[in-house]
Amino acid sequence: MTIADLYSMMPLIVIAMAPVVMMIVISILRNYEVIYGFSVLAFIVAFASLFFTGSFLPRSIEPLLIVDVYSLFFLGIIIASALLVTILSHDYIGTLGGVKEEYFLTLFTSTLGASLLAVAGHFVIFFLGLELLSVSLYILVAFQRSKDTSVEAGIKYLLLASVSSAFLLFGMALIYTGTGTMQFAGVASLLKGSDAIAGFVSVGFSMMMVGIGFKLALVPFHMWTPDVYQGAPAPVSAYIATVSKGAVMAVLIRFFFDIRGYDSRFFFVVISALAILSMFIGNLLALKQQNIKRLLAYSSIANMGYLLVLLLTGTDKGIQAAVFYLISYFVTTIGAFGVITLLSISREETEKIDDYRGLFWTRPWAALVLTLSMLSLAGIPFTAGFIAKFYLILEGMKAGLMLLIIVMIINSVIGLYYYLRVITSMFTPGDDAGLPAISLNGNMALVLITLGILILGIYPGWLINIITRLVSL
Amino acid sequence: MLTVPIETMLIFAGLLFLIGLVGLLTRRNLIFMLMSIEIMFNSAGLVFIIAGRHWKQADGQVMFIFILAVAAVEVAIGLALLLQVYHHYKTLDADSVGKLKDNNQ
Repeated sequence: MTIADLYSMMPLIVIAMAPVVMMIVISILRNYEVIYGFSVLAFIVAFASLFFTGSFLPRSIEPLLIVDVYSLFFLGIIIASALLVTILSHDYIGTLGGVKEEYFLTLFTSTLGASLLAVAGHFVIFFLGLELLSVSLYILVAFQRSKDTSVEAGIKYLLLASVSSAFLLFGMALIYTGTGTMQFAGVASLLKGSDAIAGFVSVGFSMMMVGIGFKLALVPFHMWTPDVYQGAPAPVSAYIATVSKGAVMAVLIRFFFDIRGYDSRFFFVVISALAILSMFIGNLLALKQQNIKRLLAYSSIANMGYLLVLLLTGTDKGIQAAVFYLISYFVTTIGAFGVITLLSISREETEKIDDYRGLFWTRPWAALVLTLSMLSLAGIPFTAGFIAKFYLILEGMKAGLMLLIIVMIINSVIGLYYYLRVITSMFTPGDDAGLPAISLNGNMALVLITLGILILGIYPGWLINIITRLVSL
Repeated sequence: MLTVPIETMLIFAGLLFLIGLVGLLTRRNLIFMLMSIEIMFNSAGLVFIIAGRHWKQADGQVMFIFILAVAAVEVAIGLALLLQVYHHYKTLDADSVGKLKDNNQ
């Protein structure tokens, strides 16, 4: 390993060192504000180190890691989202009883897992990254030990995520049996060889898709999603919906494009079926939801279905559209969960849609951000979600995926209904439900998110330029 | 030296995986469910060892060591959560732990 290799791993090293330092600090001085300040600082340093790393790329650290611009982009998205979640968590976690400094520590270890997924070029890193991410998430989901629903969500997530990891592992093992290599690139080069290898890879990849499908909450592996989103603390739900899914999507895109899965008829049918099912079932189940966290869970299922369409394009342009879609989806989802988080401080979770009645008249600013997020999720013009969907449909049509695109458009219309339901509820006059006031800290995060949604929606050209110039596999 | 054909070994590992999966689906006690998951992990580890032997590489065994470590971590957290579940629900029956569900009324 050369010094340049180490430089190219800077963001990972920063994220790996931070929890170690935090453990030492916690053992000496247990202070919530200090740990919070340190984690915000560490995330900013990690983000800044991405720019420093940029000059050493692309570089593959044999045989485990591939650090290229693609992974750097995902690292950036992951770190920025984790930072936003950290800021939003401050007041929420701060008012909980018991020890709470470890929340930020666990957030860091899970971000390390997610970052490993973004640079994975080998099954070992894929597996370790995924496990680091999920194991930290079990703790985060069950973080409110005194609440039975939080613990229940934790154990449900643990059982189902472990089963999915077992499927993933078995799939990897079969691919290794067939090819004799665990590197993505190695698997890809051997795949052209013979039918026997292709058979092993097909069965192996199908089992891996069970594991990946669980993590991305694709139908029919979506059962855990609403329960976990509802039971987990709101900022953790935001984290699961964004960072965890984005990281898994990063590794799925890399692996799928490496083995050229879109050329295989079998994979094409499997992925299309997953996409169509996720879109329809996600949206239809969301229609009657009265709980906004469960509603967002179903909406995330549908959104991952939309993203799968881009896997099948098989072009760099498809990847670029996927990166843009993920960025806009991240901003929007963190915005929606951010408002829920900030309105749930030191009280029972504000999770029923009825709790938001009249929000526009009592807390106009929070209502505005939530409205924007919902409009963006629905894909209304002048928000990030519209551009992302437009870009996605454009690339999908260019690749000739007409059926999938039509299904997607039908589903966008179904989606409108439940997103608008949340908005109408906010504008219906109602009495003050005793929601907490939002602190400066929270307002700052909301301003950032609002700017993000509007800038990406009104003037997305610069970001699309950067992405199309830099991102490719 | 006695050699077993690779197909036989793979079928054995596959059966082990199925036993774990069936155990998970039929058992309702959370501790037994954790044990079933452990069996599934180990069957995957077994396939890695089989493949490593087949290709005459150490990679498979290295992977198995990682799997052991990760499985241990999962169980540690799983048992800690089980204690919390028992504390709240006074039972380890998976069907009785179900406050979170769709409620559309």
